[in-house]
Amino acid sequence: MNSISLNGGQKLAIKYFSVAVALFVAQILFGLLSGIQYLAPGFLHGVLDFNITRTVHINAMVVWLLYGFIGSVYWLLEEESQTEISGLWLGNAAFWVLTSAVAVVVVVFLLVQTGPGDDFTRWFVNEGREYIEAPRWADIGIVVCLSIFLYNVAATFNKGRWSGIAGVLTLDLVALAGIYLAGMFYTTNISVDQYWWWWVIHLWVEATWEVLVGCIMAWGLMKTLKVDRKIVTTWLYIEVALMFGSGILGLGHHYFWIGTPEYWLSIGGFFSALEPVPLVAMVVHAVYDSGVRHMKSSNNPAFAWLIAHAFGNFFGAGVWGFMHTLPQINLYTHGTQWSASHGHLAFFGAYATIVIAMFYIAAQYARGKQQLGDDLPDRGWKWKWALGLLNLGVVGMTVALLISGYEQSFIERAQEGSTWYGYFAAQVHPWFIQGMEWRMVFGSVTAIGIVLLVWDLFTIGKQKAIKVKAGIVQT
Amino acid sequence: MLEPVALKDFFIVFFSGAMVIITGALYALLFAWSRLWKKPWLMNAAYGAYMLLVISVLILGQTAHLNGFWCWLVFFMLTGYLLAPHGIWKLCVGTHMQHKQDAPIMVTETSNSEYSKEGVS
Repeated sequence: MNSISLNGGQKLAIKYFSVAVALFVAQILFGLLSGIQYLAPGFLHGVLDFNITRTVHINAMVVWLLYGFIGSVYWLLEEESQTEISGLWLGNAAFWVLTSAVAVVVVVFLLVQTGPGDDFTRWFVNEGREYIEAPRWADIGIVVCLSIFLYNVAATFNKGRWSGIAGVLTLDLVALAGIYLAGMFYTTNISVDQYWWWWVIHLWVEATWEVLVGCIMAWGLMKTLKVDRKIVTTWLYIEVALMFGSGILGLGHHYFWIGTPEYWLSIGGFFSALEPVPLVAMVVHAVYDSGVRHMKSSNNPAFAWLIAHAFGNFFGAGVWGFMHTLPQINLYTHGTQWSASHGHLAFFGAYATIVIAMFYIAAQYARGKQQLGDDLPDRGWKWKWALGLLNLGVVGMTVALLISGYEQSFIERAQEGSTWYGYFAAQVHPWFIQGMEWRMVFGSVTAIGIVLLVWDLFTIGKQKAIKVKAGIVQT
Repeated sequence: MLEPVALKDFFIVFFSGAMVIITGALYALLFAWSRLWKKPWLMNAAYGAYMLLVISVLILGQTAHLNGFWCWLVFFMLTGYLLAPHGIWKLCVGTHMQHKQDAPIMVTETSNSEYSKEGVS
């Protein structure tokens, strides 16, 4: 790796990206284990139960995407601010603290697993809230590290140059750290507790993460396609307005069935239904931009993953989300494999794809700004197959889970009225089991894809870099 | 206030819900292509897609029992999807107006070198 040509922020970003890739692999590994446990409930019983494998699967996803976003911001920070990062040593220290904390939390999840229902467990084993199970001490660590990250970003822009992207990014990071606090206190009322818990889950994912991605995309468009700063900044503002306009109150679709007042049915249904409008409207912008520019990419894998992002976001978040967002139908689908189907495609399409694109941009720079075009020594077969297999795997899992979820909503919810009998009747139905079997097949395809992706990220451009050094080919 | 979907209508609700978004995107896509390439027949196809969207929304509204207050949702979806591409197109033109290099080359059949405002209006 030619890390000499990278600035301080980019070197730190490479560290974040490296851990992100490792956690991505862990996510898929534990996803496979969870999938097997659906088909063979006795598999690893008493050693690594389903609740543990699923916890690691989902938390690994949240954390690797977060690492990817943080890495991406560090990657662009010095170029965007036109100055060196303020307190870079603090950022480096925060990276090691955060990474050590993540490692300890995972070890505790795997080895300690459970504890008595008291404060000790909540502080040191598992906080118990789905998706953000990290114990309280780790929560505090996460907020501290995000605050350091925020300091690095805000202080650097303050020292260097503020821009539209800088302003949006800094405000978004305030929200990113602040909203996490909503998931760090308990109330004795489960409805109130879940009310705040959803702030973290929904507002992170459908507000602050979206804006982070918007900032990264805006910067990426300027760098890769030389789009004018004024244009990307204006569109960033428009996107933020559209996303926040529908996304914040779209939070209501999580409040349908947790004991909150009935008006959330109307608010949640209404704003959730409007959430896809910005996605559809953006089609116009994409067509316009592709029409007015001769898009020529010097980094084919990154460009291909950006295209995958556009489609994945549209189908995963837009189509799959809208299909079951209205309370009249969500009554039957909420918490079934429908949610898992939507979750798989939406997280992969909206977030994983763009972080992978950033991995490739980093790989390109780290190997001396190689052209990652058609003239790669291996003709780029690894990245092409990784792209194909990962997308095929996730789409296949999405469809398989959809079939299982459809059967669940039919039998468990509609026919049997959400009873325990209905729950088990749905779990043993052939449609459910076949859906789960196909999920395993496509999960395995995804796993092959990640192996190729990691291999490619470690090797892409290396041979060419050696040839360039030897004067055989030009960059 | 809320009347759940009937069991027999499950598939129709899911399918029409998906079609709302897909036809909405198709309408936006054809609309933008029509403006970009100056092909009026594509605009007809765009409004054809919008008509499919209207049908999908109405079927969704009927099967999901979007009555009373929920009629507003149907109204906002129909007007929102209809007007959003127009609005975004105007914003595209407005934000790119000052940049000669962003002239939509493909829409100006008369000249490739000169920026034609007609092509993007």
